[in-house]
Amino acid sequence: MMNFGLIAFAQPWLLLALIGLPVLWLLLRLTPPAPRRMAFPAIRLLAGLKAPEETPARTPWWLLLLRLLIVTLIILALAQPLLNPQARLAGSGPLVLVVDDGWAAARFWPARQIAAANLLAQAEREDRAVVVLTTAPGAQDTPPEASGLLSATEARRLLQGLKPKPWPADHSAAVAAVADLELPGAANVVWLSDGLASPDSTALAAALQKLGSLRVLREEGDGLARLALAPATEGVDLVARALRAGPEGPSEAAVLAIAGDGRIVTKVPLVFEPGETEARALLDLPTEMRNRIALLSIEGETTAGATVLLDERWRRRPVGLVVEGTDQEAQPLLSESYYLESALQPFTELRKGTVGDLLQRQIAVLAVPDSVILSADERSQVGAWVSRGGLLLRFAGPHSAAPASQGAGQAAGGDDLLPVRLRGGDRTLGGALTWDTPARLAPFGADSPFAELALPDDVVIRRQVLAEPSLDLGDKTWARLTDGTPLVTAARRGDGWLVLFHTTANTDWSNLPISGLFVEMLRRVMAVSQGVDSGGGGQALPPLEIMDGFGSLGAPPATVLALDTSEENASPIGPRHPPGYYGNDSLRQAHNLSRFVPELAPLGRLPAGVTAGLYHDSPERDLKPWLLAAALILALADLLISLALRGLLRPNSPGGQRGRQGAATAAALCLGLFLAASVLVPPATAQESNEARALEATQMTRLAFVVTGDDAVDEISRAGLLGLTRVLERRTSVEAGPPLGIRLGRDDMAFFPLVYWPITATQPTLATEQVDQVNSFLAHGGTILFDLREASAGAQIFGGGSRGTQDLQRLTRGITIPPLAPVPTDHVLRKSFYLMEDFPGRFVGGTLWLEAPNENVNDGVASILIGSNDWAGAWAVNELGRPLNAVVPGGPRQREMAYRFGINLVMYALTGNYKADQVHIPFILERLGQ
Amino acid sequence: MTEPLPLRHRAEQLAATLPPLLVAADRVAATVAQGVHGRRRVGTGETFWQYRHYDLGDQPQSIDWRQSAKSDMVFVREMEWEAAQSVWIWRDTSASMNWTSDRNHQTKRQRADLLALALSALLMRGGEHVALLGSGLRPAASRATLTKIATLMDSAQATAKEAIPGQDANKDSANLPPAQPLPRSAQLVFISDFLAPLDDINKALRYYGGSGQRGALLQVLDPAEESLPYDGRVRFDGLEQEDSWLVSRVEAVRGDYARRLQAQREGLRDICRALGWTCDFHRSDQPPQAALLRLYTTLSQAVT
Repeated sequence: MMNFGLIAFAQPWLLLALIGLPVLWLLLRLTPPAPRRMAFPAIRLLAGLKAPEETPARTPWWLLLLRLLIVTLIILALAQPLLNPQARLAGSGPLVLVVDDGWAAARFWPARQIAAANLLAQAEREDRAVVVLTTAPGAQDTPPEASGLLSATEARRLLQGLKPKPWPADHSAAVAAVADLELPGAANVVWLSDGLASPDSTALAAALQKLGSLRVLREEGDGLARLALAPATEGVDLVARALRAGPEGPSEAAVLAIAGDGRIVTKVPLVFEPGETEARALLDLPTEMRNRIALLSIEGETTAGATVLLDERWRRRPVGLVVEGTDQEAQPLLSESYYLESALQPFTELRKGTVGDLLQRQIAVLAVPDSVILSADERSQVGAWVSRGGLLLRFAGPHSAAPASQGAGQAAGGDDLLPVRLRGGDRTLGGALTWDTPARLAPFGADSPFAELALPDDVVIRRQVLAEPSLDLGDKTWARLTDGTPLVTAARRGDGWLVLFHTTANTDWSNLPISGLFVEMLRRVMAVSQGVDSGGGGQALPPLEIMDGFGSLGAPPATVLALDTSEENASPIGPRHPPGYYGNDSLRQAHNLSRFVPELAPLGRLPAGVTAGLYHDSPERDLKPWLLAAALILALADLLISLALRGLLRPNSPGGQRGRQGAATAAALCLGLFLAASVLVPPATAQESNEARALEATQMTRLAFVVTGDDAVDEISRAGLLGLTRVLERRTSVEAGPPLGIRLGRDDMAFFPLVYWPITATQPTLATEQVDQVNSFLAHGGTILFDLREASAGAQIFGGGSRGTQDLQRLTRGITIPPLAPVPTDHVLRKSFYLMEDFPGRFVGGTLWLEAPNENVNDGVASILIGSNDWAGAWAVNELGRPLNAVVPGGPRQREMAYRFGINLVMYALTGNYKADQVHIPFILERLGQ
Repeated sequence: MTEPLPLRHRAEQLAATLPPLLVAADRVAATVAQGVHGRRRVGTGETFWQYRHYDLGDQPQSIDWRQSAKSDMVFVREMEWEAAQSVWIWRDTSASMNWTSDRNHQTKRQRADLLALALSALLMRGGEHVALLGSGLRPAASRATLTKIATLMDSAQATAKEAIPGQDANKDSANLPPAQPLPRSAQLVFISDFLAPLDDINKALRYYGGSGQRGALLQVLDPAEESLPYDGRVRFDGLEQEDSWLVSRVEAVRGDYARRLQAQREGLRDICRALGWTCDFHRSDQPPQAALLRLYTTLSQAVT
């Protein structure tokens, strides 16, 4: 391989062909170009004329230069030039590729793959075998092991299928795997590392160096992966934390807070001070947005370590509102839960349900309005929950005021969950029988959680429940009325709180619930409650969603086991417990990588004799395809130029047909080149044919018939409708096109106003989608004429008698047929164009049944007509216009009447009921002679 | 009658329009005023010519009583002879006519057809009887004849377009007029590019001139055939299976070519002079009205 510094040639002996270029120049110069050809009628006058001096015509010099350039480019391309050539691989043994595919390798994974591909290309050129060793344990917890001696193509296939794993690499096991390797000759080892140090990375480097010359490729500085730590909670806010490997120099990143549906909630910058490895960023968000955050990730890094999953432990707990039954749903403004809901909904997540349901979830506050009466079981549950740290918010009201009138036994159980002892009965302020006016609230004390809340002037309390005076009543009081009576009292019970509002949560006893003060007070109460921090409780949680090596969540593979959440033997991060969400419907726990990575440090000093390199060195590039492409483009240009010189490209010259063909082929070649890279789209033939058919059916009005499958019957139907169309066109203004046949289920019926359906015995029963199609056609205003096509003088249609009737019933099973009646004497059908008394077809005597007239449905136009007189047979004509079938009993009058019925029917289907109006009645009556 | 409705509509549309050639010809012909001419003799006609005395053998119904009452002799009214003459038009349908140097101009064939049809329209308006030489139609002056001629030309042009240039597919296309017996009073019009050898033209035309019929010649050439606007090294191909000819520098042979063309034209003029006919030259990029007017005036003057 010849090396010229920046460019090297892999096949240098081909460059000898450049010697032939001057010879080519001479050859091209001497041959004259092809003359232009013109067609000329007066050639007889031209024949024999010669130009006086004959200077040889020459190809222009720039065209020669172009052609020589093309040849030069082809010769250079065939010599395989390489830009930035790599040095030859040292050693004579195989190439050993050690690839770090732990979580940190996902940061610049494509660069690693490109570097590996380049090394493999080099190995392929030099015909060396390749051994591939990955350093992370496999998905089934198998320790890393080296592949055997592979050819370069097999190794390439292996490397293309390699993906980074979401758990850390295991260098100690890799050392063991290296020790097992036996290689012929001195191998050339390249270690594509992720740049992070582990306890055994130096040992691995030493072991690799024993195999042969070692080269380590790694990232540095900002290129090293960063680890996102679990966020800390400061008060109400989340603080995102991240760790980086090297403490030198300032660095910047950004943290994205992403909600459960994938949308970004917020983005905060993360600044690493010089000398610091950890950075913190405060996520300042309103509570409802903070509760939506599902994961935090460092922007731009797609590694498993840069993403931290959040679960319930970081969420502000929702409030549970106990509702009982469906009382007062019809009158929401009277129900307490309505006011509580509208007050709590904006700033916290509210859940409604019974006590049992609510306590199964993790909630911070349980709000119990007065109308809810807790059973003994529920009371004990709630009591236990409160002592574990929950806050019970209760409201007084008529029910809690009632115990004074009832026995003490029943009351005693309820009083257990109150912060103070209540005096029975309530106190009415400002009622009809009292001396005083409704009371106002006193300003809040400094030690109450409601301190510094602004008191509006118009909040009045009309009734309240009183507490028994006791020594600690003052400490327990959070809010008072102006006369000192407590309004809100609270007491600690275990780790939790019991809070009581001495008035109702609706407007029966006060107008506090409709004031803004109520919302503020409830917010302060929420702030008092603390989130419950509990783990899984020691149960084994099956995997729900597992993170892959690039940090995206997906379905868990089969190799993942359930997570053990007990404190003693919590499962570590590994192939059996990759990071992700584990749990079931009620409990979802996040298993994060950051907890199990002790520290991040860059890969330290390597043993002497090891060459280090970065991933982003410019690789060598093969110039051959570029040069060939350039040569091809120039050749096409040359073709076009020579055609133009011969005058065959001018569009005006009529004799340039051959030239135009040549130019057309050149243009087609160019087009083919560009299209060769594009993907061929599969032709949508079915759709196109549907569109074509829809166009055909709708460009003119058309009558349609149902294709029965029997060719003879279909022919008669088509000929019959054709004859009817012609008659319509001659006598009326309906100019319809030739009739079309409909295949049920395949063709759309919606384009046709009238469909003729001959009933035959051989027609198959309809499938469900065909029945649906017919039903929807009828429901949207279509008209179908069923024709039993038999001489049925006097036979009943629905008596189950004739063969035709049975076929009709079979075929219309499933189709919604409304109640039918014989055509009344004053029906529009009898007078829509001609005045008709009966409706003969090929036969006479059969009754025509149609939908009983009902103005509300389809504007009174019948959608189903059933008859048996074989009308298509009477209408059928051949292409000369001669009738095909004879009518029974006969006579041109009967055929004429059949045509008239057809015209009436088509006009009825197209124009509806307009002839039913009363305006024409006198004329019609006059003509009827009545 | 397989497709009754669209065909009828199409037929109605068709009946409302004329062949496009006919429309174009009508437009050209409308620019020239025309009229029925009398023959300045006594004969059957409509315009009054003279009175003469009543002779034995005259019809008593032809006596003009008003004039006779003015004097005491009996007068008979006589009319001028207004007879229509028959004009036979021939145009060249060979492949060499089907050529134009520029796509924006008409081919020589199209121009010849247009002139022929415009002339027929004009003459028919004037009451003359027109027929196409070699078409087998009898001369007539009705509108239907004009339509027939137009349709003939259209269909012939269509077949000429489909024919591959260089191949003589049309068996009755010739670059010389056919020899057909004609009545003595017929007038002839020949429209062609007349690029055939002069001897052949002479022989073909003498057939008609020798029988004493009057004629007019119109040569239609393409502007490129007159000026030879090409440069450089060009190989010329003929359109009627002639051999091709390579010219190494066309600009050098322009002069010689012009001389040869001039010689051909002189030869045509000589032939016409010998026969007593008129000769006219037309280029296909010039407007056709001028040539039509000249042709028409020569025809009408030839009568009177």
